[in-house]
Amino acid sequence: MKKLLIVDDSKVSRMVIRAHIKAVQPDWEILEASCGEDAMKITQEGNVDFCTMDINMPGMLGTDAAEQILQMHPHMRIAIFSANVQDTMQTRANSIGSIFVAKPVTEKSISIVVNYFMG
Amino acid sequence: MDSLSELQLDALTEVFNVGAGRAAASLSEIVGDEVKLSVPSVEIRKSSEIDNEVIGLGTDRFGAVHQTFKGAFEAEAILLFAEDHALEIVRDMMSSQISIEDLAEFEQEAMCELGNIILNACLSAMADMLNIPMDCSLPDYTVSTIDEIIQRINAGEVDAYLLLLHIDLVIEKRRSKGHLIFVLGSTSLVKLSVQIERFLGAI
Amino acid sequence: MSDLLSHASDAIKEILNSIGVGLIVVNRHQSVALWNGWIEKYSGVSSENALGKDISEAFSELPSSAFISAISNAINYGLPVVLSNALHRSPLALFERNFEQQGKRIQQSISLTPINIDGERHCLIQVTDSSTSIKREKILRTHSELLKKEATTDALTGIYNRRFFDEHYKMALAQAVRQGTPISIFMVDIDFFKQFNDYYGHIAGDKALIAVATALKKQLQRVSDVVARFGGEEFVLMLPNMQHDSAAQFAEKLRLAVWDLHMLHEESDIEQQVTISIGYSTFFGNESCDPHALLDTADNALYNAKRSGRNRSVFLSYQPLDEQKATIL
Repeated sequence: MKKLLIVDDSKVSRMVIRAHIKAVQPDWEILEASCGEDAMKITQEGNVDFCTMDINMPGMLGTDAAEQILQMHPHMRIAIFSANVQDTMQTRANSIGSIFVAKPVTEKSISIVVNYFMG
Repeated sequence: MDSLSELQLDALTEVFNVGAGRAAASLSEIVGDEVKLSVPSVEIRKSSEIDNEVIGLGTDRFGAVHQTFKGAFEAEAILLFAEDHALEIVRDMMSSQISIEDLAEFEQEAMCELGNIILNACLSAMADMLNIPMDCSLPDYTVSTIDEIIQRINAGEVDAYLLLLHIDLVIEKRRSKGHLIFVLGSTSLVKLSVQIERFLGAI
Repeated sequence: MSDLLSHASDAIKEILNSIGVGLIVVNRHQSVALWNGWIEKYSGVSSENALGKDISEAFSELPSSAFISAISNAINYGLPVVLSNALHRSPLALFERNFEQQGKRIQQSISLTPINIDGERHCLIQVTDSSTSIKREKILRTHSELLKKEATTDALTGIYNRRFFDEHYKMALAQAVRQGTPISIFMVDIDFFKQFNDYYGHIAGDKALIAVATALKKQLQRVSDVVARFGGEEFVLMLPNMQHDSAAQFAEKLRLAVWDLHMLHEESDIEQQVTISIGYSTFFGNESCDPHALLDTADNALYNAKRSGRNRSVFLSYQPLDEQKATIL
């Protein structure tokens, strides 16, 4: 059974992602965090397989948090899920070893993310 | 009704951030460099509460872009930047050694386009996420004082509701703060709240 | 062929084809349904050849990507779009027709408005030639510049006056704060000027003021640097992006510039010629800066220069207003 961590400062956004994931992977355990720092704490406690990460959050930038988490837990897969769609961000996401998916969250974008996690 | 619930405001903030992301992408194509645009917060206020302190841009002269729209609800949108910031933004968008005097020629047009890009992005995000398609006018740009803006806001309904969005814009390493204000009558606020509830209910 | 004008009256056709604005209408599939005379003339493409074609193929060259995105926005979301001339010089292949400038693209202002025709969404595209309005703006600006000059120039010395300085200084300081760059202020006062005036007369006094102003102005090298007449015999200079060490050198340059005029002044208590005292201060571009406080600091420095013998420059580091009272020597 897989564990997914959803990181986003918007509660609504976390709810939307959770709902879309549950629709296709009802047995996954889902954790939530509202900032990069909390995300790092939770991944430290162990056993997180996948993570969706927003970029613009108070405190640490999502891409920075993702980079650090991947360094400490290289087995994890992270999908950067953001409204910030410019090339610079997409390139950054790819260079740290994660994928980039544009918001808004749709069935299609969630299936891309799930395929990446499982693939 | 008085306002939107915290969850509804969160949903709106999320919608406007998607809009901001799209606007930033369009702007970055024009400027040729990364543009950061975010909507850190959304508040509901009554128009009687608006004064220089609330707007808080540290000036009493603003560059203001207006666009009216109707559809699922009616509203007027006003994008505000401090006037000298507006000129700086235009200069950054044109990314050349243009002098302040030459800028004045282009301020009107360029600010109209900036406002148009941001507003359209927000409206398209609302259409996509909240299923609220809108009909929209072309923008116009004026340099106004806070009183003139308040007058314009109150020209329609008495004590209308305002959706006040704080905007953070970074172009070429220059950070400008602005506001995007949607002026809504109470019926429109109810309609908007219904659409947001529908969106939340479907999650 | 889907020509919206095919059912229009002759009068309407005549009007639309004579109007001095480019008009194009595309339908929801983005094919051209109206292509007026102005567009024919400047694109070099006749309406017969444009009607029914996809908008991106109707012109002799591909429109800019911004224009193509704008059409999508208008058709798909029903949102009006402005493509200002400021940010998009010439998105469409429209060319000058006069002999000297043939082949050169026209500067364009374009707006796209979604409209409803027969229950279907269409997009109305209006194109205006911006070059005439730009020329008009330039003429207006030159006129207003002449007027402005009168309002911001000191009549006697020909340099900027206090009013100009006040406006410019605030803007420059705000920019320095925003960009984190330094700015230096120099307050200059002619030594024993009252005595000069009393002894040599006002006409000589005026000539001295002009000479000093000119000498100070000659020391400025950059467009952003400003020298202005602050008061009777007082001048102020503002140099953005000048650090402390350069400021010290510059202050000495100013002093020497006036010294080298060798203007006779028998009533001076210190030398036999006209000298100046200079007080200067630098804002280093950190945190915030009160414009009055910076000027006051430079003024205090000037006071110190006078007190300690004149014909010299003194530096005081920027102090916010509440701290200044303590340091007047």
